Amino acid sequence: MPNFNSFTELLDYCETQHCSVSEAALRYEEAYSGKNREEILDGMRAILQQMRDTIISGIHSDEKSMSGLSGGDSQRIMAFMDNAQCFLSPIEMKMIAYGLATLEENSRMKRIVACPTAGGSGSVPAALIAVEHEKNVDPEQTLKGLIAAGVIGEITARRMFLSGSAAGCQAEVGVASGMAAGGLVEMMGGHPKQVIEAAAISMQNLMGLVCDPVAGLVEVPCVVRNGLSGVQAAAAATMALAGVQSFIPMDEVVEAMAAVGKMMHPSLKETAEGGLAQTKTAKAFTERFKAPKTVGEIVAEQKQE
Amino acid sequence: MSGGSLFDIVGPVMVGPSSSHTAGAVRLANLARLVADQPIAEVEFVLYNSFAQTYQGHGTDRGLIAGILGYGVNDERIRDAFPLADQQGLQYRITPFMGANNYPPNTVVFNLKLADGQTCRVVGHSIGGGKVHISKIDDHNVSLRGELPTLLIFYKDQPGMIWQVTKILAERQINIATLTCNRNQRGVDAFMIITLDSLPPAEAVEGIRHIADIYTVRCIDKLPA
Repeated sequence: MPNFNSFTELLDYCETQHCSVSEAALRYEEAYSGKNREEILDGMRAILQQMRDTIISGIHSDEKSMSGLSGGDSQRIMAFMDNAQCFLSPIEMKMIAYGLATLEENSRMKRIVACPTAGGSGSVPAALIAVEHEKNVDPEQTLKGLIAAGVIGEITARRMFLSGSAAGCQAEVGVASGMAAGGLVEMMGGHPKQVIEAAAISMQNLMGLVCDPVAGLVEVPCVVRNGLSGVQAAAAATMALAGVQSFIPMDEVVEAMAAVGKMMHPSLKETAEGGLAQTKTAKAFTERFKAPKTVGEIVAEQKQE
Repeated sequence: MSGGSLFDIVGPVMVGPSSSHTAGAVRLANLARLVADQPIAEVEFVLYNSFAQTYQGHGTDRGLIAGILGYGVNDERIRDAFPLADQQGLQYRITPFMGANNYPPNTVVFNLKLADGQTCRVVGHSIGGGKVHISKIDDHNVSLRGELPTLLIFYKDQPGMIWQVTKILAERQINIATLTCNRNQRGVDAFMIITLDSLPPAEAVEGIRHIADIYTVRCIDKLPA
């Protein structure tokens, strides 16, 4: 029964079975869930479609979030593509825009896919769907990328809790960027070893990334981090496809990230008590925005267990 | 940690912005609604700690209201919870509690007034990644997570009660995942919480209800993914 407690085990399985990472992942999910292949693929297709819908909705909206901290930037990027000063090619521009768009939609209380979390939800869709659009990739190939990304996240989640409050933003955007990088290599037909190298390369760039949300909201710096991480994933995937290898194997990168997460000070783990959340500008905003204090009478009236 | 489904990682489809403060809030309210088991006329949401501090920016208030109305975590109508509550005649109040307390970071107490005038109090916590935990129903300590169909049974604490309940489940080939009993006072009353691999048919629940000295039975299906 296919079960991968480490990336070494996953790669060993792919080698002995002569199969891709996404194929190994599908066999794992069949065994784990008892569902048949078509059910699993249909479930993943629906998820991918929601990711596309969120992006389309996001890039066509300039609505600000309830806090006013986000909204409109993905549109700016899309419009800038035709500007003489734009020096990136359409594929990178779309990766930036799609990552921003997904988090902007998240802040508007619209539908998103948590992948692996809401805070990191932009990386995988930005990377995979920008490539699908610009390279005319068959959607069934994008699907393989998503499934490979999924198993990368699943094995990582056995070593660390994927939440900013447990291990900082490394655990959300960091892991998402690793998933996106591996997914891209799978999409482009890379070898299983290259899939995992890409994930390791991308994740080590975000080692130590703190969770420092302004006013505790999933907006600043979350939106821009998701705008940037798709492009980072693309660079990591390209490095892996070109033969670059991570000196530290993926299993050890994940271990190191988990250890760093434990060492991280609580003020840097989704408490808004450190980093950007404690800057002058952030504190001024938080004061204006904070939920109103209850009057003394209500506080005195409360009975608590 | 042991493995999980790929769909735990790639998913869920949810309305943002936060798994813990939005999706978690919706699911807590979904469970409170199922616990009430009757139309809800009025509800007060008392928020503690992080819920109290960030409920507006995270849409926790809309999530709770939408959840108590029965909308699921990925329903885009969550955004319109306030007008929907007015349309559906639900009276609600949001009370952020800013004082010191011993509750976990994302806690909400539901003070419910039901259509028939009865009241019900539910305490719940959003523990991250959209996962939730109801820890108290009225005066009883419980543990309800919405991940499996659950029977909540309030009964007289005396020999033979567990046997009578589980006999009905066994006869219908319903497998028990976990079974916990919390009693308030020996020989007085207790709460049985049974999580099951499948939802028992209505007649099985009725059968349990009719056992002598069983006071109340609630059957709560698992929440959608």
